[in-house]
Amino acid sequence: MMTTAVPGAPGRPAGESRWAVETHGLTKRFGAKPAMNGVELLVPRGSAFGYLGPNGAGKTTLIRVLLGLTRADAGTMSLLGYPVPRHRDAALARVGAIVDEPRFHRHLTGRQNLRLLAAAREPAARDRIGPALERVGLAHRGDDRVSGYSMGMRQRLGIAACLLGDPEMLLLDEPMNGLDPAGMAQMRDIILSMVAEGRTVVLSSHLLDEVERTCDAVAIVDRGSIIAQGPISELLAGAQVALAVECSEPGRARALLAGTTLSARVAAVPAEAGPSALGLDITLPAGAGRDVIAEINRVLVEGGISVYRLQPVQTSLESWFLQVTTRLEDPE
Amino acid sequence: MMTIPDRRGTPVPTVGLIATRIMELRKRRGLMIALIVMNIGFPALFLFIRLLGHAFWPRTSPPAGGSQIFGVLAAGFLPTFGFVAAATVGCTAGSRDLTEGMFRHLVVTGRSRLALYLARIPAGLAIVVPVVAIVYTILCAVCAFAAPTVVTDNGVNIPPGLSRAGFANWAEGHAELVVCNFLANPPGNVDCPSGPGTSSVSSATPGQAAPPALEALAVKIASQDYPGYASILRSPPTSVMIEGGLWIELEATVGFILGLGLASLMGQRTLPVIFLIMFQIILTPILSGISIAHLQDLQRSFVGLAVSRLEPSGLPTTVGGMPGVTGGVGGPGSVRLPESATEAVCVIIAWLAAWTILGAWRMATRDA
Repeated sequence: MMTTAVPGAPGRPAGESRWAVETHGLTKRFGAKPAMNGVELLVPRGSAFGYLGPNGAGKTTLIRVLLGLTRADAGTMSLLGYPVPRHRDAALARVGAIVDEPRFHRHLTGRQNLRLLAAAREPAARDRIGPALERVGLAHRGDDRVSGYSMGMRQRLGIAACLLGDPEMLLLDEPMNGLDPAGMAQMRDIILSMVAEGRTVVLSSHLLDEVERTCDAVAIVDRGSIIAQGPISELLAGAQVALAVECSEPGRARALLAGTTLSARVAAVPAEAGPSALGLDITLPAGAGRDVIAEINRVLVEGGISVYRLQPVQTSLESWFLQVTTRLEDPE
Repeated sequence: MMTIPDRRGTPVPTVGLIATRIMELRKRRGLMIALIVMNIGFPALFLFIRLLGHAFWPRTSPPAGGSQIFGVLAAGFLPTFGFVAAATVGCTAGSRDLTEGMFRHLVVTGRSRLALYLARIPAGLAIVVPVVAIVYTILCAVCAFAAPTVVTDNGVNIPPGLSRAGFANWAEGHAELVVCNFLANPPGNVDCPSGPGTSSVSSATPGQAAPPALEALAVKIASQDYPGYASILRSPPTSVMIEGGLWIELEATVGFILGLGLASLMGQRTLPVIFLIMFQIILTPILSGISIAHLQDLQRSFVGLAVSRLEPSGLPTTVGGMPGVTGGVGGPGSVRLPESATEAVCVIIAWLAAWTILGAWRMATRDA
């Protein structure tokens, strides 16, 4: 990939910038309501990065601000090392994006829509129309009118539009919306293949399972602010761990645990679901090691309770997300 | 370190950008059908019916072409419908990217929004101008090649293109016809078939030899009336056809630019189209027909009047077809405000520039 200089920033090649997206104090208000409130975001290059948040958290607003579709009220940002909006055209030349539902001219074919977009890019973009359609699996439908496309086909056409600029980074806003399981799997494969080519993919979504399967790192946004960000593995390592316990007397086991020094660190509740009524779900503190599990086992056994099973449950992105966000739906 | 020049920030649209905008408009079947039917279909059908009528019933149906029918269409129908159709194309070009969700895709390419806007101007005109040119060419062809074989002066059919002497000779041979129809009060000794001063629209067939005094009177009348006869044209002169064509294209261009700017400003198509139709069909004729003493400068700054001011002098401004509807002044009761051609050109340029700037500004600042 050719390195280009950041205009106005001598000695700092944009291609060597570590961050694909870098924002500081980014703020955007709609009236009195902040849609983004001092967003500090760092997206490493070459990664698949998930940008997660409940509905109305400000995910789309951030992407729209980054792309210059709307203006920020405060803060600074750069894309691929190019400060925007100052060098927006240079930055966007290296970015492909889908914002909201991908919509196209319905009276044109998919190929004609891409021609329209390629004409707005560099001359070489026109030569990429065929390969882009091929890559997203639309080559055989490229000459059909978009009015006859399904939602999934339009999403894929949106990805093809992103590929016209041979982008270093893709900003995809809810690309899985409206897709059936097969379409989601196909989209996932496309995204992963692009990451494998060294492109950065920023995936804004509320489909946590898909993000967890696709992305290396995430940021969680809630009420316009980023409340956590980093590699998924690191974030989950810092999350509370669940321990499923199966024993002979769950009620007494819970009381026993509550009466020990462990009570300050763990919370035990009767399991709501399980193979029998012999269960307890225990929440362990973040970073709890094997010693805590062993101590729980010792307390229960010394209390005369038969322990049939002790199983740490891997914290999912979804459960962690629920832990750190204040709500799933904006009450407003 | 190597710097790759990237010119997508420049406001100048590329040829490729313009070409794809043309494609985008051209592929709108409904719009293209409406444009062609309204601009080409109606006038062509009208002329075709006249051609057929004259071919099958030449005695009752006048020739399809000629100077008069040219005036009716070139000064009445074509400018009005050209303006409305061009405005509709402009409103479509100015709003559909936004309403159909493509504007966002285009913006994220990094291409200058100004270039995206400016590309629509040549693209739209590349569609509007040829359509207007086609219908105008049809009109000119019919009016030139299917023109009447005689001209009518004072209700008398006369061979066209006669010299002064030829006209006098013809009058001498049709003394009674000339005296009866060219004089309001023919001498009492002349036996006019339908009474004196009536228009019989007789054929140019010489009758019985008239008395020498009557022939002398007819020659004298012909001599006096020759300038009037010479000004009656069988078919429109080439210069008028060229000027008329350019003027109609100007009208269409103004309609397109206004439509583009207004639709970009409002972000939709329907209301701007309605506004511009009202502007052309209601507001302009009203302002053409009145003269407000203290607001004449304001009236003069109105683009409809300025375009009318540039109407070629060879076109009738009081055409019976659609007086006042053309945006042209001079219809019955209208008042032509004094305005120089330079002033009119300046007004038109100012309007085009203002609406282009407004549309481009809105496009550049709009949330996509």
